[in-house]
This record gives sequence, structure tokens and C-alpha cells, in this order.
Amino acid sequence: MAKNLFSVSIFFIVFRETIEAAIIVSVLLGLVEQIVYEDPARLARLKDADRTSDPESPESPTTEKPSEKDPSASSDASSTPELTSGTDDDVTTKRLLRKMRFQIFMGAILGLAIAGGIGAAFIAVWFTQAADLWANTENLWEGIFSLIASIIIFVMGVTMLKMDRAKAKWRVKLQRAFSGQEVDRNAKAGKWVLFILPMITVLREGMEAIVFVGGVSLGQQATSIPIAAIVGLICGLVVGFLIYTFASRTTLTIFMIVMTNFILLIGSGLFSKAVWYFESHMFSVLVGAEVDDTGGDGPGSFDVRGSVWHINCCNPENNFDNTGWSIFAAIFGWTNSATLGSVLSYVFYWIAVMVVLVYLKFKEGRTKLLGRESQAGVRRRERKEMLAAQAAAEEEEEKQREREAAPVVEELVQ
Amino acid sequence: MLSAACAVLALLSAASPALAGVREIWWNVTYVDNVDPDGLYPRQAIGVNGTWPPPPIEINSTDSLILHTTNSLTDPLTIHHHGMYFNSTSWMDGAMGVSQCGIPPGEDLTYVVPINASGQYGTYWVHAHSNGQYVDGLRAPLVILPETEAYTYDDDFTISISDWYHDSHAVLIQQFISISNPGGAEPIPDAPLMYFSQHDAYLPPKSGSSPAGSTSATGFNENATLSFEPGKTYRIRIVNTGAFGGFYFWIDGHEMRIIEADGVDTAPYTVDQLNIGVAQRYSVLVTAKNDTSANYAIHANFDTTMFDTVPDTLNPNATSYIIYDADSPTTDLTTDVYLDMPDINLVPLEVQGMQPATATLEFEFEFDTMTDGTNHAVLTGAFNGASWGGVTYNSPLTPAAMSALTLGENATVSSAYGPLSFPVGHLEVLDIILRNGDTGKHPFHLHGHKMQIVNFVSNYTSEDTSLNPPINESQPNPMRRDTVLSPASSEYTFRVIMDNPGAWFFHCHIDWHLESGLAVQIIEAPLQMQERNTLPSVFNDQCAALGLPYSGNAAGHASTTDLSGLPVGPWLQNNGWHSRGIGAMAGCVLTAVLGMASVVWYAFGGHISEAEIEHEERIRLEAKAARGRFFGLAKKVKALRAQPARED
Repeated sequence: MAKNLFSVSIFFIVFRETIEAAIIVSVLLGLVEQIVYEDPARLARLKDADRTSDPESPESPTTEKPSEKDPSASSDASSTPELTSGTDDDVTTKRLLRKMRFQIFMGAILGLAIAGGIGAAFIAVWFTQAADLWANTENLWEGIFSLIASIIIFVMGVTMLKMDRAKAKWRVKLQRAFSGQEVDRNAKAGKWVLFILPMITVLREGMEAIVFVGGVSLGQQATSIPIAAIVGLICGLVVGFLIYTFASRTTLTIFMIVMTNFILLIGSGLFSKAVWYFESHMFSVLVGAEVDDTGGDGPGSFDVRGSVWHINCCNPENNFDNTGWSIFAAIFGWTNSATLGSVLSYVFYWIAVMVVLVYLKFKEGRTKLLGRESQAGVRRRERKEMLAAQAAAEEEEEKQREREAAPVVEELVQ
Repeated sequence: MLSAACAVLALLSAASPALAGVREIWWNVTYVDNVDPDGLYPRQAIGVNGTWPPPPIEINSTDSLILHTTNSLTDPLTIHHHGMYFNSTSWMDGAMGVSQCGIPPGEDLTYVVPINASGQYGTYWVHAHSNGQYVDGLRAPLVILPETEAYTYDDDFTISISDWYHDSHAVLIQQFISISNPGGAEPIPDAPLMYFSQHDAYLPPKSGSSPAGSTSATGFNENATLSFEPGKTYRIRIVNTGAFGGFYFWIDGHEMRIIEADGVDTAPYTVDQLNIGVAQRYSVLVTAKNDTSANYAIHANFDTTMFDTVPDTLNPNATSYIIYDADSPTTDLTTDVYLDMPDINLVPLEVQGMQPATATLEFEFEFDTMTDGTNHAVLTGAFNGASWGGVTYNSPLTPAAMSALTLGENATVSSAYGPLSFPVGHLEVLDIILRNGDTGKHPFHLHGHKMQIVNFVSNYTSEDTSLNPPINESQPNPMRRDTVLSPASSEYTFRVIMDNPGAWFFHCHIDWHLESGLAVQIIEAPLQMQERNTLPSVFNDQCAALGLPYSGNAAGHASTTDLSGLPVGPWLQNNGWHSRGIGAMAGCVLTAVLGMASVVWYAFGGHISEAEIEHEERIRLEAKAARGRFFGLAKKVKALRAQPARED
């Protein structure tokens, strides 16, 4: 394989996981604001928790004030002292908000650091200890790795489409986490919640990314990982920030469609390549020691049986002159020597995508399939009908009220 | 040289008895077991009368050679007397598919070689020209002694050098022409062989040695010795009877003067080394030293540049010894300097000038992986201006000689003989321009003729006239021989006078290359062939016995165009961007677009609102909480403790 400094698939994986983590963090941030401005009851608890927070924190001198004001707050969980009034309290709230945000970011950064450390260690061990396992049967291993990567990408690509729903889901999840905190408050974990939650979340996404990157990077050169991962991280952060600040859900959906299509293009290419590598391996086994003859292009470099096209150029595996073709290969699975297997596998990958997506949409109750509805579909329809009936009933009630009021008015007029 | 160009049988019965001695030899061609010349691996080989190697033949030039052949093998057989003219009886040439169908297993055939009428003498050889049987061992030197030798010498030895395989040709050819060998790597010999003969016998192994196998009566390689007496001059004939490997040959401490090449006496030409390709022969004069204080090594080193690899198990150098005194020490020098043999510099003793060419056959050859994934020779060129391209040679069903005899007026039509067949008129002067587009050396052999080497170009793609000179038409006496070693990217021009009516093979003598199609057939003066037709009916009968046609065109039809049934191909791959590839690519793009469309379709429509998502998620989480952690296990554990973990 060519000396590759940028692995497109790894870029996409890191990009995706970063966006997911960014969404979670942004949901957390939003949630905190919501709590601070709209949910004073919970704020009090958080302030209460904050009061006993790390005294070595640079902000601790300022945060001491509100805690001093309410020394009894921690003693009774059910009591919610009214403290959120006056300008002094406004400043306190803002400070508190800042501190909370700081905690969230610190947690996220720590999670990222741990995940990055584990990932780096994993990759380092893999490439230094295990890399020479497959030196002799490169095509076979590349085939296996490409197959694994293509399957990972398939799963990732399909689930990625649901990411526009992630914000809402995470909102519910985190809200529950907070309310759970309410219950477990006595366990004294409350003061760390804003630190631990993003840390765990980011760590989780990071580990997921490591598993994915690890799986995909099996077939890649070590040199192709760092730049792709870093660029993917930066892009993910930027996009995550943009989503947080500006984007509506529709634009997020469009963005996810584009991303998914890209990643599925890569996945289908990898799947096709996997089959190609297996065939190539079989051919080099057949040809035996005469491996020289299977290198390069042209007659003799490939198995004529099952060849669909072969052009004597544009070889993405050419180490000397493959300008552009290796990128073309990484994104679209291009090969200058396509076989029946590699073409069919490409087609079948996409057919599998279509089948799975149709099934998922059906299962989610978002479409009918041959006139049939899925469980979720029935549930959604019934809920909608119920809501509509409720609304209608309310409207009816309203009208009724109006109707009842009307004679009074008429009477009054009269 | 062909003054007595009349039918051989008539000649034999009618010519004056004083001239025409007859030398009759009976060869029962058999399998011989336990053949182990290299002492590394006993194998079954093909020999004669139950022995291997087949007996060497020495004959006077005034005698006609009659070889009674019995085929005791399981495959059809032909015997080719390499370099002989046969004087218009080319069916006696023994080239399977060109001059005859082959002797069916169990049958006999009498080959008549009219040596007495062809005026030929010198060093030749005889070998099977069918199914690779000579690779399996059917090969022997043939020495023709003239009435008076041009040079005087005290004694005369013949050294056979050849490659040797441990596997049978049948196994090797299957590996060679195979989809698993797209690069066309030739089978690498397992050993070089060098062995000596004098008159009608091989020289025994040196005293004290005890070689293994059924071949222990002959000395091979380090067991082979030549006894030299001080001061004497020896003529040493070197014949490469191999199937593939070229050799560099030299004798430590002794000068070699070339006096003959391929049966053509030459002016003495001193060399340090001979580079001798398959089927080539040289005679050198070697003068013995005047003292017996040392013995000297004779070297025959494989030209390993022709091999794809040199396996660790192969010692590519055969070494034998010249013994002056068995008690003296032996020098055995090694070298890594190998010198090529500029045979164009040799000068024949019998002067023959140039005649202007009247016909031209030019072609370039290379090897490529073909449409069926196997590797074949590919010939591209032109015959008298009519060009063809990308063709590999296949044996016709009807031997070309028999087609020429039975096609009547149509016998002059090229297409009747199948691809790569070139009819040339009687007494035309044919230039064969041979361009080696391959990276290896190829020994090209023309049957039934000596070729004048009228031009050599070391690089025919060069603009430089020192590398790519034009033909000098005023050479007084260019070198002639029947086998010329063509180096990579070189061009040879051979001039041949078409005075020997017959169907003659022109091919690479490397057996693997012959079998992968590096050959053409020259149909020389077919109308004169018909006039002089004395074909014994046994040739027709043997074709019939093998189920092959013996009249009509190459496919056995009385037509110049209907070649149905003739084996042709495989063909050059036509790689590139064709309808199949475009269609497949379009299919890939279509499914990818449909797939991406389904992604869009999935994402839009049936919109789930935020409220719904939250609702669903809440339901899901509640269900999960109700179930408890670890698929409900944790909850059960807690339930056992009778302490409800959560109120909800």
C-alpha cells in the first residue's frame, strides 16, 4: 500500500464521534442554562452542591459568598430556600453558570484526554507489536481488515442518520440523570455531576471512536492515522459548535445525510476492496513464488477469470505514481482491475443499505411497507390521534365556553 | 549444394553404389528408468534401446543415414535430424505438425537422411521434435565426417552439454502454460550436464568413481574426463542438446580456436569463452600443453540470466576435467566474467556471397499473458509488405508439408496453412528479419537451411546507426549457420535462398517457447514440392492412425479459407475501458445513487417531532429502569434482598 498520510475513513469516524460528543456537551450546556434561569428549585440544589465544591478551585473565593449565605441549605433536602432575588444574586447566578460551564468543559476535556491516551496506547501497541503478523500475506489481511472496517462503517453510517434525534434523546437522558441525582443526592455525588457526566459521556464516545478507529485502522498504515484523527477531531469540534450555536434540526439532518452518504461510499468501497483483496490473495497463492508478476498493471498482473475491467493505469496501489487514484480508491473503492466479485460486492453493499434503511424506517413507524404498519407506526398513529382528539376536545371545550359566554354577552348587549 | 535435388528414394536406388554407402541404425525409443546423470535424483527418461543417453552417431559424409525408428512410448513421436537439408524431402525432417503427424505409439517409421547427397558434414545432432520428448532425454550428437577435413588434428571428442530436469516434460509444460504462471517463467533446470563421446560411444566415468543409476556407464560432469597427451591438438565439438539453458563454455588454461559452427567450417577464430545457446554447435581446436604437471577444468556454466530465479538447490556450473596425469594437481578456476559470442564475426571457409533479397519476412516477438491467463509468444510482423499482428503459433492439424503436397494451385496461398505460414516461391531469396522484443536470449533455428547472417542490430529501436546499422549488401562471405542466438532487443537479418522445396519450421529452440507459440512455418516452393513428391504412404497412414487429416488445408479442408476446427489463439488481452467495464461501472454508480437516495428518503418524511422523540425516549428509559440493569438481573438480585432500589 502506498505511503499514506491521511486515512479518509478514520477522519470520518473521529469526525462523527466528535460531533456526537459535542452534541452531548452542548445539550448539557443548554440544560445548565435552563436550570439556572428556569428551574430555581434545582439550581438551589446545585448551588448547594457547589458550595462544597473543590476549595482549591480558582473561583472558590467568589463562590464562598452564596454558600455562606445559606449555611443550612445542605442540611435539608426538601427545603428550597428562596435566594434567587436581587442583583447580588444575579451576579452569583452568572458566576455559578460560568463555574458550571467550566466544570462541563473540564469534564469533557478530561474524558477526551483519557480516551485519546487509551486510543494512542492501543494503536501504538497494535502497530509495534502486531504489525508484522501479516507482512507475508498482506492481501489476505488487508481483505480481512477491509471487511471489518466496511461492516463497522455500515453500522455507523446507518446509526448516524439518527443523530439529529440525539439532541432530544440526550436531553431526556440527562434530565433523568439529574433527577436521579435528586434521589441520590444524599450520596454526596451531586457536586461532581456536572464534571462527571460530560467526562463519562465524552469518554464513552471516545472509546467508541477507538473501537471504530481500531477496527478500521487494522488495514491502514500507522502513519495515516494521527493526521486524519486530529483533523477529524478539529472538524468535529467546529461542526459541533456550529450545530450548538446556529443549526436547526433540519440543517443537522441535511448535514447528517451528506456525512452518511460519504461514509457509506467509503464503506461500500472498502467492502468491494475486501472481496478484491481476497481474490487477489487467492491469485497470488495460485501464482506462488512468482509474486513479481502479479505486481503492477497489465496482462499477467491479474486473474483473467472474472475480470470485469482492467486498465493499464490509474492503479491506486502503485507506490510510485498514483496521484489522486489512491484518494479515489479510499473514497469510492476505485480499482483499475475490477472483478466480478468486487463489482457485485459493491452493488450488494448498497442493496444492503437500502434494505436496512427501508426496514428501519418501517420499524420506527415512519412509513408503511406494502400497506402494513409496524408496531411503532401503530403506536405513533394512535398517540397522534389521541393528541388530536385531545386537542379537538380542548377546542370543543373552548368553543363550548365561548358558546356559553356568548349568550351572556348577548344578554349584556341586550 | 543441392545439385542432386531429386527424390531420395530414387536417389538411393539409382545413384552410383560407389558414392552411396548406407548407414542403417535401429532406434527403439523407450522409457528408461533410474536415469540419474547428475547423481541427485533418479528419474524415468526417454532413451533408445533401453539405454540413456541415446547413442551418439558418427557417419561419413558419403553415407546416407537410415534411421529405423520404433515408437515404444505412449505418445506420438518424431525424430528430427537437426540442421539436415533432406533435399526436397521435408517430410523426413521430423518436425511434428510441420512435416509429419508423428509415429503413433507402437508403430515404426524409417527416416532417410540423404547426407551423401546434401554435401553436409560437421557437428549436428538428433532429437525428438514432438511433445517435448527431447526434454525428457531423447537427444544425441550426430557427427558427419567429410572425406577430407579442412583442419588437421590428432583426435576428436564431442562434448554434449545440456540442461536436465528432474520432473518430466509433461508435468513441467502443465506448470509452464498455466493460469498460475501468467509471467511465463520457464521451468528452471535442476542441473547442467556435461558428458563426452567419441565415435559411436560415450566416454565412461573416470576410474574410481561409481555413479548411481542406469546411466553409470557414462561419465557426467565431475565424473567425466578427457585424457590429453602433451603437445597434441584436439578437435572438441561442443553441442548444446538442452531444452532451455544457454551455456558459457571454456577450458582452464587452454586457448580455443573456433573452426566450425553448426556444420560450417570457419576460419580459425580464437576465443576465451563460448556462449552456446540451445541447439548450437561449435568445434574448437585445443592444443594440449607440453607438460603433465597439472590437470585442468572444463567449464560449462549456465547462462543464468535466462532463468527467472536461480534456486539454492541448483549448482549452475558443470565442471569436468582434462587429465594429463592422474597424479597431477587440478586447477579449477572460477570466473564471473561472461563473454558473448559474436558469431557474425566468423568467416566460413567455403565462400558464398550475397544475393539480393526478393522476399522479406519480418517480425517482432514478445511474450505476454493472453486472454486465457496463460503466457504465450506473440508475433507481430509483415510478410512481403502484408502485415499481421498479435498471433501465437499453433500446430496445424494437417502437417504443412502434406498441405503443400495436396492443395494443388492453392498451395501458394498463405491462409490455407493457418496463421504464421508463409509460402515463398522457388529460388527466391528470402530475408528473415527477426526482432527480439523480449528480455531474454532466444536461439532461433531454421529447418532445412543454413541462414546467412547478413545484419545484426543490437538495438532495433535506436536511432544510432552504430547500434542500428543498415544491411551492408556487399559482404563477400557472411557467416552461415542454422541456429542463431538472438539477444534481447536485437534484430537479426538472415538471408536464405529458397532452393530446398519443403515446409520448414523457423522457431525458437527453447522447447518451452516453441510450445508457447514462438514459431513460424516457411512453405518453400510448394509447387516444386508437388513436382518432386515422393511422400511414402506410411506418413499418410500414420496421420490417419492418429485421427489427423493428411491432405487439404491446415484444418484438413480442401479450401484456402475454411479453417474450421483449426486450433487458434489464445489472443492478446484487450484490456481497457470496454462496454463490459462501462456497464459494470454504470451499475455500481446506479446502486450507489439509489443507496444514497434511500438515505435521503430515510432521513426525510415521516418526521418525528422533538416531543415525540422525548416521549419515546422516556418510555424507553422507563422500560429500561423497570427492567433494571443488566437485562433485569440486577433488579432480581435486589429483589432477593427484599429492598426495592427505586420507588419508580
